[in-house]
Amino acid sequence: MDEKEAHTQRLKAAVHYTVSKICQSTVAECEKQISKQAVAAIAETTFRQCEIFAKDLEAFARHAKRQTITVDDVKLLARRSTALSSHMQQKSEELAMNNQELKEKRKKNAAKRKSKEMEGNEAEETES
Amino acid sequence: MVDPAREVTFKKETVSKLLMLFFKDDKSKVSNDTVTLMAEMLRIFVIEATRRAVKHAENEDCVGVDLEHIERILPQLLLDF
Repeated sequence: MDEKEAHTQRLKAAVHYTVSKICQSTVAECEKQISKQAVAAIAETTFRQCEIFAKDLEAFARHAKRQTITVDDVKLLARRSTALSSHMQQKSEELAMNNQELKEKRKKNAAKRKSKEMEGNEAEETES
Repeated sequence: MVDPAREVTFKKETVSKLLMLFFKDDKSKVSNDTVTLMAEMLRIFVIEATRRAVKHAENEDCVGVDLEHIERILPQLLLDF
């Protein structure tokens, strides 16, 4: 139980770190300042909100009779606000495109390597 | 925010550990893209909270954002997510 508590505390600290970074950059854009307590409050809120998100995602996946949570579940999570859901849609499309590009690159590289190997083999054969 | 590569986001590892912590069922798994998308979602949440608090502080003509501004914007923020 103690170990679990320590794990939670570490995660909270990680969330706090990133939240304070995002807060500072956002506040700097608006030429304002933000107090430490305010940042801590946002960090705590984010942590608790994440719990709600996680439980919703799990419920969505279970409703679809899946055990793996997919991108579609996250899209469903963002359904309440139109702007947010269209932003998430766009992001997920970007991700899918990046993945496809990576895959194609890998395929091309693999093909290249193969043809090089073949050339090498042929060269060896002619030499002998 | 001009350079998207330098945008601050949550680490993938943090997000995936957070999600795992809150899952009731140990069998639940998360795909790689899901983690990236959730990191983006949490980033938007934090930015939205900060922006709203900043706006509130501006309305009250305060120099800095303080706890009371967060308290004020919290109910509507939670309703919107």
